[in-house]
Order: sequence, then structure tokens, then C-alpha cells
Amino acid sequence: MKTLLSTLFIFCAATCVKAQDNYDVSLISKDLMPYASAIVRTEEVTIEVKDLDNTYYHVKKAITVLNKNGDDEADIAIWHDKSKVIKDIKGIVYNQWGKPTGKFSESDFDDDSGHDGFSLFTDLKIKHYQPKIADYPYTISYEYDVKQKQTLDFEDWTPIGSDGVAVEKSSYTFICKPDFKIRYKETNIPSSVVTGTNKQGLKTYTWQISNLKALKYEPYSPIKRTIMPSVKIVPEKFIYRGVDGSFTNWKELGQWQYDKLNAGRQVLSPVTVAKLKELTASETTPKAKARKIYEYMQGKTHYINISVGIGNLQPFPASDVDQQNYGDCKALVNYTQSLLKAVDIDSYYCVVQAGSSKVSLLPDFASIDQGNHVILCLPFKNDTTFLECTSQNMPFGFLGNFTDDRTVLACTPQGGKLLHTPKYTAQANLEQRKASFAINADGELSGLMTTNFKGTNYENRDEVIYESVKEQVKDLKKIYPINNLDIESSDLKQFKTEQPYTTETLKISARDYGSVNGDKIIFVENPANRVTSGLREVRNRRNQTYINRGYTDEDEITYALPAGYKVDVRPANVLIEKPFGKFEVTTTVNGDKLIYKRSLQLIDGTYSKDTYQELVDFYQSVMDADGRNITLTKGN
Amino acid sequence: MNKFLLIVLISIGLSNIAYAQDFAPGITDQEIDMVKYNKEPQANAVFLDEFGNTRIDEVNDHIRLIFTYHAKIKIFNKEGLTHGTIEIPIHISEDSGEEVGNVTGTTYYKDDNGILQKTELDPKKVFTVKDYKYGSTVKFAMPALRPGCVVEFKYELISPYWYDFRGWTFQDDIPKVNSQYETHIPGFWWFNASIRGSLKLSKSDSELQRECFSSGGAKADCSHMTYQMKDIPAFVEEDYMTARKNFLSAIYFELVEYTNPYTNVKTVVTKEWSDVDRQLKNSDSFGSQLKRTSLLKERITPLIAGKTDELDKAQTVYAWVKKQIKWNDYIGIYSNDGIKKALDTHTGSIADINLTLITALSAAGLNAEAVLLSTRDHGAVNTLYPVLSDFNYVVARLTIGDKTYLLDATDPLLSFGLLPFRCVNDKGRVISLNKPSYWIDLNTQQKAATTHTFDLTLLDNGKLKGTVTNYYKGYDAYEKRKAIRKFNTVDEYVEDFDEKQPKLKVLKSEITNLDSLESPLKEVFNVEIEAFDNTNHEKLSFNPFLWEKRTTNPFKLAERDYPVDWAFASDKRLVLVMHLPAQYVIETPPQVVAFALPNKGGMFVTTFDTQDNNTFTFSNITQFNKSVYDSAEYPYLKELFNKIILAEKGDMIFKKK
Repeated sequence: MKTLLSTLFIFCAATCVKAQDNYDVSLISKDLMPYASAIVRTEEVTIEVKDLDNTYYHVKKAITVLNKNGDDEADIAIWHDKSKVIKDIKGIVYNQWGKPTGKFSESDFDDDSGHDGFSLFTDLKIKHYQPKIADYPYTISYEYDVKQKQTLDFEDWTPIGSDGVAVEKSSYTFICKPDFKIRYKETNIPSSVVTGTNKQGLKTYTWQISNLKALKYEPYSPIKRTIMPSVKIVPEKFIYRGVDGSFTNWKELGQWQYDKLNAGRQVLSPVTVAKLKELTASETTPKAKARKIYEYMQGKTHYINISVGIGNLQPFPASDVDQQNYGDCKALVNYTQSLLKAVDIDSYYCVVQAGSSKVSLLPDFASIDQGNHVILCLPFKNDTTFLECTSQNMPFGFLGNFTDDRTVLACTPQGGKLLHTPKYTAQANLEQRKASFAINADGELSGLMTTNFKGTNYENRDEVIYESVKEQVKDLKKIYPINNLDIESSDLKQFKTEQPYTTETLKISARDYGSVNGDKIIFVENPANRVTSGLREVRNRRNQTYINRGYTDEDEITYALPAGYKVDVRPANVLIEKPFGKFEVTTTVNGDKLIYKRSLQLIDGTYSKDTYQELVDFYQSVMDADGRNITLTKGN
Repeated sequence: MNKFLLIVLISIGLSNIAYAQDFAPGITDQEIDMVKYNKEPQANAVFLDEFGNTRIDEVNDHIRLIFTYHAKIKIFNKEGLTHGTIEIPIHISEDSGEEVGNVTGTTYYKDDNGILQKTELDPKKVFTVKDYKYGSTVKFAMPALRPGCVVEFKYELISPYWYDFRGWTFQDDIPKVNSQYETHIPGFWWFNASIRGSLKLSKSDSELQRECFSSGGAKADCSHMTYQMKDIPAFVEEDYMTARKNFLSAIYFELVEYTNPYTNVKTVVTKEWSDVDRQLKNSDSFGSQLKRTSLLKERITPLIAGKTDELDKAQTVYAWVKKQIKWNDYIGIYSNDGIKKALDTHTGSIADINLTLITALSAAGLNAEAVLLSTRDHGAVNTLYPVLSDFNYVVARLTIGDKTYLLDATDPLLSFGLLPFRCVNDKGRVISLNKPSYWIDLNTQQKAATTHTFDLTLLDNGKLKGTVTNYYKGYDAYEKRKAIRKFNTVDEYVEDFDEKQPKLKVLKSEITNLDSLESPLKEVFNVEIEAFDNTNHEKLSFNPFLWEKRTTNPFKLAERDYPVDWAFASDKRLVLVMHLPAQYVIETPPQVVAFALPNKGGMFVTTFDTQDNNTFTFSNITQFNKSVYDSAEYPYLKELFNKIILAEKGDMIFKKK
């Protein structure tokens, strides 16, 4: 009897394990395999709000890594700081048959300072560990608990983290007292929330998703936030690092930022105030005064980020910046705001999601985590002006491609207001080049080339312009695809006018630009601005075609031909017009001059997914045309 | 011998020097009013003065290195402001580590009214950031920076790693007016000093300091050395060069011997290679590991059972070790936890894996030795005398008959005998359990070779149809395998290859030897290429360099200061067989050229041949036979690329009959 019992027990134990956590790789549906290097077998994220300053996270995850490319998915990284404490981490490694082969725990983890690449210091830390497994496929399962002393910022649920990862199942559960009110935002979630009450009488919200195929990278896709599944949750009432508040919309959230975090941090010494008054005394309009102050701030400060505690949301006082001459975006915006206030100019502290990709704040859903940067808005009548305060060189009122054309939150004394930053159109983002070259009988090219950069292109030469002339020449030689390029002189200038622009004037020569073959000289007609790699095709595209920012390139090159030569082979003119762009090339001969004109325009916007192939063909035509040669022949 | 890679032993005679010391704090009117540095007018900032001092002393009953640093930097413009943020990397280990203290700093500037002001650094704003297990960075931003200001700061760094005496880098990204380093080494310790880089010391003096060190009852005199450089130019990096450390002017120290001041026991650390050999052979984390053949014998005996060929055995063992242990991203020459742990946990450092490999090869009865080397980013090694800290990597050297192979089992995609790019750096030291160590050259072991063969027919619809066959060997095969492995399946790779080239359609593909690392990797694509829109044209122009056509020279500078270091030689070949439709003849054939570098350094050759009226063969060989080209060879290299570009520009013309 005894024997039988223990056999039964073993049997049961084995089946129990199987029923719960069988990570045998052969059980994964074949449908999930294409383009997948890792597969999330299960993910369960549970958030329980115990109190306004007490939230528990429980995360349980199992992921199968199919090959080396998926290794990074097994890299476990958990951010923490004084108010976000990791309670427990434990995990198991399984082989391809789902048999456990090893364990790991918190002691295996490294604990390093958080690096964001731009901060001098932040008090965030990161615990991380990556099991090193040589045999593929393998599975790791792990769980951990985190206690957070705040309820303002809950982690979003984003079941698909990256391209190349498929998901078997993933769930997100939020638990709170019945009187704790939340709002949530579902994006691309097929099944809606299930609500209920658990045994303890607490309210539960649960989302689930299963069998998501791995995504393959598709160029010109819409902004990730809009196409990936996600759920965001925000509280109505909260405590964040000892500061309480409540909000249901942007107006109230902006009000909280203004009243609780920014107010009272704009005091400047009477000496500074007097200095600013004197500085701006000769200016008559508020805008001219603001420009003076902005340039004063740029000359005085530089960007250094130190983020400690609530410092990730709250700016350092203006008086600190006045003494230290440095600060992060929040501190520098707050400082500039105080400087302007000293001469009675009102301005708004604006939260924005910065980056080349134009990500707007969700107009219908207020939450604290949607911005990563702060800029300043000057609400002049019919002339709203935005200022980037972390740059020492940007022109007054210029945002460039970092914060252009997107919805931002202005924190005003009357509460939050959504504003939209200015857009630089395809016509405005102009790169305009004019060159007057001579080609001699040896194939040498020489002459003058002038380029104007406008719109977001204003910044195209920022990497070069602040360098010594010697280094400038080195860089410019890398920028232009002209073989044997020699730059005799370079002159780069930036004009910080209402529509700022950069000019570049180069006196150049290039021996063997044309290859001489008997009585023929062959040279590429487009010397400076060739598209050399086209777009890749995408079979079975899922996404619409999205062009984030448009531009216009105009090149006009005049070649003076060597005496005694005439044009033998001249490529045909090209004109392609599409809804998303236009490309035109003409080559004309006028006496001993050959004039090459090229214009290429790409228009921003969202187009159908089928448009993508047209875009591929468009760029292929541009590339083909850009590679074309002119052949000159001696004599008649 | 390249003048930049020179490592020179410093020998200094005793002389009476004035008591050299740190420069006086504070600034002069001239320094605050300076608008540019006349010797390098384009510099954004300049070190006006820099002083460092390291002594060995007792701190709380422990021997410590005490390093003090003092610098004064003039900042000319906004771009120079970054030099006002100071970062001090420090080493840490399990139970102790380096510590930075006594940080002080002052910023001097003229305010808007032209009055000299100063702002002190707030000691609370000195931060320590932990980068990883063994390293942190102490950081601070100097306050009140503005163009024209002068920052002056000091700190003290106390290190428990007295055996790793602190070196000094004279040269930086900005110029220095003066840089001085002093050392105080008690007679209990003896270090070798060596200098790297092309700049000369403007002063090097020594004096005897009486009884500068005492510990318990023991007392010692110190040798007090002073090294100084003046007017140091900024260091400017060039493309295709090895570690900047190889070229920066700096001084390094290596422990030779020491006497424990408490016990009076003398230890010779590195004097001769024979000492190092002995030390390594007896080291728990090196030689002892190499002796653990019994540990491996039981594991590999079944693998090589029945095999008689030594190469076959070696390849089997090599493949097995690659699969057994996965690299954990740590490098070094010591297996700290031992190879048994690495084998048990299937994970280990460079040393864990390659010492396992050497031991396993020995266990299989093969002649395997360890090779210590320094990776490319770690710099060249000192060959004048043993400097163990110069080495950061270990690989296996296998001898079978008269052939030798260098093996690294840390990357599963490396073929047998292929050293990873990072390891191809200057010289390596062979350490064997039973004979004295010796140098070997790590260069020119293997090359990168690729052959593209096209057999294409031009169809009446303007398309080219046929096959493309590619062979990859050596480093090219390694890189290609790595590229294919970036995809989950070969099909996904082919799809990507196809999608990246809108004009090309892959009809069928076959990739062979993807996993047979010892054979050339072969790709065969049946393709259709949209070459022309149709064949109704009177003339068709066609460029035979259809796989890869170079249009710009990779070398832009008129001349170089440093050698071009590609690490390995290369050989690229193209063979194109093309069949034209009956109605076309070749009007303009491609240029037939042959260009060569001096001393068989490389060549670019094309040939052209017609089989019948409608079929031609075009071939091209591009060879670079050296892995390193010195600056005197640079103009030839640059000109060869110019000629290549001109040759590749030439189109063929097909004409209707």
C-alpha cells in the first residue's frame, strides 16, 4: 500500500507540473514560428493598489529562445530606486523538452546605475541578468515582485515588446479597492476588459491576448504607439513621492504639475532681475525682448541632467541654474520662464515626447508618462512661439526635427492645455544647391558649389559647423560622394532669422572626376546628391505607408565643357509624379555649357499599404537616374 | 618599425633636481584673458597645467597607492564646455576598490561687468555611478561654466591595487601646455617604466628621498621620479587605425619585484619571461587549469574514439568545446572560477573557454599551447620585457606536424584556425607547460576571400536571367555566416536578400556549407534581373561590375600619420559570363586594366574575352595582400582606389546589328 501511494504521488506531481508549466518547445504552434527568434509562452502582469502610496507588481513570464537572435529577450532587466523596491526574483531554465536544467535567483543579478546615455547622474538603478545558455532552443521562466510607493504612474501593458517575438499568451490584471477609480486606454486590443470582484472583495480588471505572430520590420511604418497593442491605466487620485493629487483630463494634470511641482521655483535675485531689465530695455516688442533673453540664456547655460527623487518630474529652482549655469530640460525651461517673467513676459512650461518620430500626446487620455522632454511656449497673440532651452545654438523659435509638429501639454496657471507645435512642410525642408563647375580635358572638375539648408535641414551641418576648418574639410569630404574631392575653401554660415537657414559655399576640385577613355570623357551628371541605396521591398506588408517628414532637394549644376568637346550621350529627362512625391531631372546643352537640374520631393503623410511598392519603385528610379553618366566626345 | 608603435624603456640617471612639485593654485590675468591657444588656435579648450603624483604608502595598516590629480583647463567656447564635466573611472572588486576623495574645484570667470569671479564646486554634487560589476565612474560638473572661463580641480584617488602602479597619459583630445607626473616608490618596490607614442619627454629626473616610507619597524628610501611634457598637441584619430592607446603619448609601469615590508619576504614578479612562465604555470587560474586533462579525458574520449587523424581529432574537440561553453562576455587571461565550473554551468569567460580547449586538445594527445595576446582595442603589447597586464586574451595554438593553427572557441561561427578580428593584433606570447615561452606574429594568418560567378543571358524582354554563384572563404565566410545567422531560417535570409534588391528576383536558391565551417560557404541563386525595359533600343549600356561598384574612395586624406590597419589580407574575384541576344553585338568592350601596388602589396586586374559573337567573359581580381599598410604606402593605396573607381565607371555598349 505504501508503495502504491508514493507511486501515485509521483505520478500526480509529474502531471501537475505538466499541466501548469509545460515548456516543451514542440508544443508551440507552427503558426507562431515565422520570423520569430523568441516566443513568449506566458506573461502575467498583476498590479495591485493597496493604498495611495503602496502598489504591488507581480510579474511572471516564460519565454522560449529559439536561436541566438532571441538571446536578448532572455535578458531580464528591472529598474528600481528608493521608492521602487524589488522584493523577490526567482527563475528556472528549461531545455527544449521542457525539463528544468537550472535555477537562478536575485543573487545572480548585477545591480548597476541606470544609464540613459545623457544624464550625469540619476538615482535609478537596474538589476539585470541574462542566463547564458549554449543549447537552443531553451526556455526561461521567472517571477518577481516589486513594491512601489506611488500610484501616479502604472506600467503599461505592451504584450509585444519587439520585432521577432511571438506571443502564446499574455495577460494584465489590475486589482484595487472598489473606491479606487481608474481610467484606461486600450489600443489595438481585440478583446475588451473583463471586470470582476475577487475573494477579498477587491475590484479586478483583466485583459488577455493570445497567439500573436512575430512582427517583421517594415520601413515607413506608422508610429509604433499607434499600431501595437497596449493598455494604459491611470488613477483618479494618487500620491507620488509624497505629493498627492488627482486628475481626469489634461487640464487637471497640467494644473497639478503647475501648482504642485513648478510653483515657487522661479525666484531670481533682484540683481538678476535688474540685469534682465537692463538687457531688454532697448527692445520695444515682447518678442524682441524674449529673443534677447533666450540668447542670454543660451550663452549662459548648458545642458547637464541630474535626476534624483522627484527630480524626474520637478525642475530645479531657477536660482540654482542662475548659479551653476547648467540644468536639465526642466530646469532650463523653468529658468528661461523665470527670466522672461522678470520682464513681464508670460510663457508656458510644455511637456512633449521628443524625437525625430512625431509622437503626439493622446488628446483623449491624460497620463504622466507620455512625454520625455520639456520645451517653452510663448503665447504671443497670433504668433505662438516655442523655444528649445537645452541647446546653446538653436535659433529663437526653432524646434528642428526634435519636437516639431506634435501635440504637447502646456502647464499654465489655468491648468493644462494641449497645443500643437509648428510643422515644417515638405516645401519648407529645402536643400537647395547651385554649382558652377568646369570640366577640363583631363577629366578634372573644379568650381564653386553653394548649398542652402532650410526648415529642419537647418541643422544638417551642425556636426560640421562648430569644428575647426581642418576638421570641417575632413567631414565634408566624407559627406560628398565626389571622388578625389579637394576642398580649397569652405564657408559655412548659419542665419538665425525668422526662417533660419544655413549656407555652405565650397570651392572644390576633383581630378579624374571624369574618366578619359580615348577621345571620350565620361562623368556622373549628379555629383553631389546621389541616392545610392534604394528602399527594400516588403512582401505581404501589414502596415500603412507613413512618411514622417517631407523634404525637397533642388540641385542645379552647370558644367563648362572643355574646348573642342561636345556632348555625345546625354540621358533622357525624367519626370515622375506620385501622391507622395515628385522627381524631375533635366539635362540641357547651351553652347559649351551643360545644365543639369534635379528636384526631388517627398511629401509627408499616411498612405495605403500598397503605396509602399510605389515608393520602392520611385526611389529605384531616383537611384537609377542619379547614377547616369554623360559622355563627351572630342571633335565634331 | 613604425615610429608610433615604439615602446621605449625609460632609464634615468640620478641627478639633483629642484624639488619638483604641484603647480600653484589660482589663475593669472593672462590665463583668464586668453582668447585662443596660439599653438592650436582651433582648440576648444586647453590644459594650462596638469599635475599628478602617485606614492605608495600605508593607509590604516594597508599598503595603498595614493594618487593626487590637479588640473587647470581653459575653455574658449561653447564646444569646449564638455571639458568642464569630469569623469574618473575607478576599478572595484568584491571586497575593496578604488576610492576618490577630497574633490575640490573652482571655476574662474569674468562676469558681465568684466570683474573676475569664482565659484566653488559643491562637494555634494560629486556622484558615483556604478557601470558594471568591476567598474564605476566618479562624475562631477564644474559650476558656472561659460566660454572664457578657467576650471581648476583636484582630487585624490586611493587604490588597493598597488601592484598595478598608475600610469599617466600625457596626450588628450585637447592640447596641453604642460603635463607633469611624479612618482614616489619606496625601495621595497621595483617597477619598470615605459613610454609609448611619438612625443618626447621634456624632462625626466630622479632623486632619492630619504626615509620617505615607514611601516612597523621597516623604513625605506624612495625614488622620486618626475616626468614632464610641454606643448602637447591634441590627439586626432584617423579611420582604419588600431587602438588609440597605441599612439597616445603615455607612460606605463609594470611591477618587477617587491619586498613585503611586514615580513621582509621578497617576491620577484616579472623580471624575465622565465619568471612569468613559472608564475603562470603555477597559477591556480592558468597553469593548474591546463593540467586538468583528466577532467576532460573522460568527456572527450568517446568523441574521438576510433579517430586516428590528428586534425580530425582536433576539429572534433574544437567543435565540442564551442558547443559546451557559451561566452559570458568577460575577457581576460585567467580562469578565475576554474574550467570545471565553466563546463558544469556551460558558461564562461574567454580564458575559461580557451583554457578548456587547450586542456581538451592536450587530453586528446595533441600538442596544444596557450597564446596570450592583447585585443585590438586594448593596444599593442610591450615586447621589451614582460608586462602581463598588457595581455587581455588567451587562445590556443595547436601544432600538427609542421602546421600550426590558432584557435578560439568562444564564437561558434569561427572556422577551425580562424582567429577573430579582435585578436589579430601584433604579437602573441606562446605559453607552454613544458618549454620556455616565445613570441609569435599574429598577423597574416588567414585572409578574406570571395568569388562571385555570374552566368547570365540577356532576354528579349530586357531581363537578365541566369545564376549567381558565390564562394566565401576565411573572414568573408565568417562574416557571411554571421549575416545569415541573423535570420531565423535560411528562407528568411533569402527573402531579405531578394527584398533588398528591387530589381532582382530570386527564383531558386541553394546555400551549402552553412554549418560545415571548414568548407567554403557557397550560395547559388537563380535570378532574374530587370536590366533594361526592353531590347528595342539601338544601343544598350551595361556595367559589368553589377554586384558591387565602388564610386568613392574610402581614403580622403592627402596623407596619413598612422598606418592603415585592416587586420587581414583580402582577395575578391568576379567572373561574368554573358550571353547576348542574336541581334546585338558588342560595340564598346569593358576596359582591360592591370594596376598593382609596390612590393606585391595588391592589385586590380580585369580581363575580357569573347567566346563567339554573342557570348563574352569578363573577370576581375582585387587583391590586398597585406594586413597593414604604413603611412609611406598610403598614397599608393589611395591611388589604387582611384584607379579602381575610374575602371568601374566604364560601361560596355551593346549595339544592334
